[in-house]
Parts: sequence; C-alpha cells; structure tokens
Amino acid sequence: MSEDSTRSAGQPPRDLPEGCTLSRRTFLGGVGATAGLVLAGAVPAIVSSAQAAEGGVPGNESLSGVIEEDGAVNYPGKTVHYAEPPGDEKWAMVIDVKACIGCRRCVYACVKENNIGRNSGFTYIQVLEMDKGKVDVEHANLAYEQGGDPDKWYMPVQCMQCAKPPCVYGCPVTATWRDPDGIVVIDYEKCIACRNCIVTCPYGARHFNWVEPEIAEAEINPDVPLHEKAGVIEKCTFCIHRTREGGTTACTEACPVGARKFGDLNDPDSEVSILLNTRRVWRLKEEYGTEPMIWYVG
Amino acid sequence: MAEKAISRPGVKRVIGVDLDFGALRTAGPRYWAFVSLLVTVIGLGVMAWGVLLTHGGSVMAMRDSYPWGLWFTNYMYYVGLSAGGLVVYASVHLFNAKQFAPLSRLAVLQAGVLVMMALLGIITDMERPWRAVWMLLTPNFNSPFIYTGSAANIYMIICFVDLWILITGKGGHKLAHRMTLIALPFAVYLHTTTAFVLSLNKSRELWNSAVMVPIFLTSATASGVALLLICAYVMQRIGAMKFKPSMFRSLSTLLATVIIIDLFLLAVEILTVFWPTSAKPGHALRLAEFFTGEYAIAFLPVLVLGLGAFALLAGRSTRHLPVVQITASVMYVVAIFLKRYSLMAMGFAVDPLGQYSAPYLPSLVEVLIALGLLAVGLLIMTLSAKVLPLRVPEEDSAEPDQVVLASHAPEQALEVG
Repeated sequence: MSEDSTRSAGQPPRDLPEGCTLSRRTFLGGVGATAGLVLAGAVPAIVSSAQAAEGGVPGNESLSGVIEEDGAVNYPGKTVHYAEPPGDEKWAMVIDVKACIGCRRCVYACVKENNIGRNSGFTYIQVLEMDKGKVDVEHANLAYEQGGDPDKWYMPVQCMQCAKPPCVYGCPVTATWRDPDGIVVIDYEKCIACRNCIVTCPYGARHFNWVEPEIAEAEINPDVPLHEKAGVIEKCTFCIHRTREGGTTACTEACPVGARKFGDLNDPDSEVSILLNTRRVWRLKEEYGTEPMIWYVG
Repeated sequence: MAEKAISRPGVKRVIGVDLDFGALRTAGPRYWAFVSLLVTVIGLGVMAWGVLLTHGGSVMAMRDSYPWGLWFTNYMYYVGLSAGGLVVYASVHLFNAKQFAPLSRLAVLQAGVLVMMALLGIITDMERPWRAVWMLLTPNFNSPFIYTGSAANIYMIICFVDLWILITGKGGHKLAHRMTLIALPFAVYLHTTTAFVLSLNKSRELWNSAVMVPIFLTSATASGVALLLICAYVMQRIGAMKFKPSMFRSLSTLLATVIIIDLFLLAVEILTVFWPTSAKPGHALRLAEFFTGEYAIAFLPVLVLGLGAFALLAGRSTRHLPVVQITASVMYVVAIFLKRYSLMAMGFAVDPLGQYSAPYLPSLVEVLIALGLLAVGLLIMTLSAKVLPLRVPEEDSAEPDQVVLASHAPEQALEVG
C-alpha cells in the first residue's frame, strides 16, 4: 500500500498482467545483482587487456598473438635492486629437443653463474629423460646417470617466465612479479617464505633455500645476490644481470650442441622470432594456460 | 562442594568477567603437575623454534618436494576441529537446540583456541615472522592465502568476543543470537578459503577439484562433532555435567550423517580419478600412490576407520551404547588427522614434473614445535577452566575443578590424533 503512494506518474498502469510490472526494489536489486556479476566477470578481462596494451608489437606482426599476451603482472613500477631496469624487449627462449643430448652442461653453467648454493640441493634447470614416442612427464627420469642414451630423449625444464604466471598470482605479498620485458623476478628482501609459489608452479621451477647457500669465495659471481637468498625462494631469471646488458643466458652459452636459442620476440630478425615463425613449436603444459615464454622444437 | 565458597575471595572482575584466581590457589597437586608438564613442553617447543630460527629451514624435514609439512597438516586439522564447537554453539541459538546449551561457552572457547593454535603454526613455520607485515601492506588479492589468513584471524577474534558476550551476558540473548549469524557464515568462509589454498592450484592435480571445498566442510564438521561427543561423555563421566541420553543419540545421528556425506564426497572424487573414461595419468598415477604405494599406510585407514565409524553408528541394536558412540567418534577424529596428512601428501608425493619423493615424516624440531603449540592450547584451556566462568549458570551441579578436567578432554583427544 505504501509503495503505491510513492509511485510516480511514469509508472506502468496497474492493469498490466502480472510479470510485466516490476517493483522498483526488485528492479534495482536485479540491476545491482546483474551489474555485480558483470563487473566480477569483467575485472580480470579488463586487467588482462590493459596488460596486453602495454606490450606493443613493433614490426613483428606474425607473432603478435604471442607478444600481445605477454606483459607485466603485478609489476610495482620498479624492478628488483639486483637488475637493470627492463628495456623494450620481449625475452623468449626456444629449446631444440632433437639436438639436446642431456649432458647437463647448461645445469652446471647455470649453477655457477647464478650463485646457487653448492649445498642448496637444487638447480634452476632440471633435465628430464623420457622414453621415445611420448611426451610423458609423469614417467620422466630426472636422476639419470649420464646423458646421450640413444634410446631416450631429453627435455630441459626451468622457469618458463610465464605470461600468466601462477606463482605471481599466488604470492600473498606481491614479493614476485613479472617485469614488462617478461622476466619473472623475486624481491628477496620481501619474500615471507610461505612457499606458496612452489605449490602453484606447474613446472617445479621454484626452489627454497632451506640452508644458507655456500659457495667457495673464488667462485662467487659478484653480479648476482648470494647471502640475501638464504631462507627465501629463488629461480631462473633468464640471467637478468647479463641479458639486460645485451648478453645471453649462461645456459645458452654453455650448450655444446646449440640447442638453446635466446632472444627478443619484438625483433623480427632474432633467432627466436625466426624459429617461431618458421618451425612448428610447442610449449610444456600448454593446456594449463600459463603461456610459457620457453618453446620447444623437435 | 566447598570449593565454591572458598573461591569467592579470589575473584577479580576484569572487563566484566569474573576471573576466579582463588581457584588456582586451591588447585590440587595433580593440577599443578599437569600445568608444569605443559610449561615444560612449551619450553621445548620454544627451544625448537629457536633452533629453527638460528639454523634455518634445513632442520625441518620439509624440502622443495614437500614445501609444506606438519604445520600445514595441523593448520587444516585444527581449523576443522574448531568448527565442531561453533556448530554446537550456533545450533543452540539458531535451532534452539537447548540440550547443547551447557556446552556453549566451552565450545566457543575451544573453537577460538584451536584457530589460534593453527595461526601460531604458521608464524612458527616462517623463518622471518616479521615479514608477515607485508600481508597487510601489499596484499595480493589473487592469492588464497590472503583470504584464509584474514578469515582465521577474524574468526578467532569473533570466537573470543562471542565468549565474552556469553559470559557477561551483555546484550542478552538477542546479541548472542546475532553473533551466531556472523560467526557461522565466517566458519563456513574459513573452511572454504582453507580448501581454496589447496584446490585453486592447477599445478597440483589431486587438489585441483571443486569437491575439495565441501569435503573440507564435512570433514571439519564430522571431526568437530566427534570431538565434542567425546568431550561430553568425559564431562558426564566425571559428573561435571548431565546430559540426556537423547542428546547423545541426536549428536551421534548428526555425526553418522555427516560422516557418510564426507565419505560419499571422497568416493565420487576417487571414482572420477580412476574411471576409465575420465582417468588422466596426472591424477591416476598420483592417487595410486595412496592405494598401492607407500602412502597406503596413511590413506587406507581413512577409508576403513570412516566406514567402520559409520557402521558402528548405523547398527540399530548397538548405536545407543556409549562405548559404541565413543569408539566411533575416536575412530573418526583419528581418521580426519590421517586424511589431512594424506591430503597434504597428495599434492606433494609426486611433484609437477612427475618425480616421486619418499613419504614426508616430520623432523624432531617440527614435532617439538607442534607439541609446544598443542601445549599452549592445552595450557590456555587448563587455566581458563579454573579462572574463567565457563559453567553456564543453569548448570548448578557442575563443580569448578571438575570442569577443569572435563575441558582437557578435547585436547587429549587431539593428542590421540
């Protein structure tokens, strides 16, 4: 009754069949709920399209689909203290599994280059030995003695620098993020050691320093942090201290068969751009939607 | 009986609560022996934490393959057990379940203390606890940690505020009723977000299932109610409180119902993993470790104890017997601990690159820290049972010192788990 008295002249006439009229409250409630639902659904879309807009595609139209999804995630506007500021590149790597002989030289070069504690018990790169005829990670062997078995094939796995990195999404304190050039970095001063990123990473690429990392004085790389990595997470950074100064990664350099190619996707003449344009490539766990920045080619 | 008269002089009123310090003075030697045992265990736990802080995480059995261990198992377990107390407290006010009313203060206190133990478990796991402040300064709202962490903190505060309202009677029945309307949804929210910490990971196949959320809710309720049933029997046994047999019948009916829903959800999950048209190697190979691998020793008892508990409670001719109800409850409290442990291991036994790691068993440091935390919870319960007016006024028959013993029951049952 009281509702009737508040009705304005613009309200529908009373003789309409039921269902054609909506009380204002019902209508507003419905609009509110719909808007809420639409907004909730749209927020991730808006966020991701804003991120996509950041990554321009200068002169590499054919790879625009890959580059567009590539951008900063949770980037605080400034990179970590141990790296140069990010440039305009979109870093990527292509690994030729046909060439890889599983010698693990990339693993050793990486350990030396990145000040991985010799007592830490992990390496950034893990080389999987698999049976022929399958890409079967579930039955892969990590602990093989020696590479080069002609009845097997080898696939190195490391941080994929994902465009949609579950580790970055999962970090409760934003201590890890993705720089605009695509490198996922960790702020060692901020990491709270919750290890949720180890849990969220589908590639086993993140490692925790359960011990104080120890390295002989002569072997310490002064360009890479060491002591601040005690009790926090670390992982492959695409050798951020080299690549942002025009160099290549230690693993690319160390590979005796040239199975690794590292470069800039924004540059159409880079090896990675040419490989992605001319060869049929695949990514590990593509179905997870993490958009890794390491491709494999066979 | 004379206790009540003697204890009066020692009473101090703090924020409207009559704290009965006089009861501590008259406490017997067995009480103090128990307290000093707890203090010793806490001391050992603090020492173990010191070892952890000075030597780093390598003193724990956790490694990259098992990034979370005993603390996480206990987090899930304690948070779950606390639900039981809240369900009972809420049912008093929401469903007018008057038979549970004498338990309400104890139930709310127990819920708050259990969540506090769960939160302390996180703090003692961190090598640099002060960095936790970043959770407030730069939270990442994509991370389920933010939700479960804040939920547990707020829930703990709600429980203690609730306890205060129940004891002081401020706001009367109306406010107590309204607090239930806040506390119960928050309990559901807490368990949902705790399940999300597991289920929102596409990297961990066996966790990445929406059914994880209802399983968390049913497991929590079942184990909590089972614990409460044990507690109520202990109280009755020592004469602290009197319950009608019909109360136990309805409690065990509730328990049986929740157990069978819990087992049903687990069964459909297992079926989905192994059914030929849905089995994926990532799921099936991982779960197979829990049926035929080294983890079978932890996981198969979950099914056996669960089905056994249900069978005991379902038998028409025996289900009214106290011994049957207690046995079934103990079986399920133990089963849920093993289930939490298995659940933790399901994410980690086979890592994302298909590598199997030998079963995780906590190191001495981890065990001592966990026992220390348990002792903290027990100590709070022990002291507050003497000092706090936990008795609900209507229950005139309850003696203060007997309430003390009674309130140990839930915690002792924890130790069993």
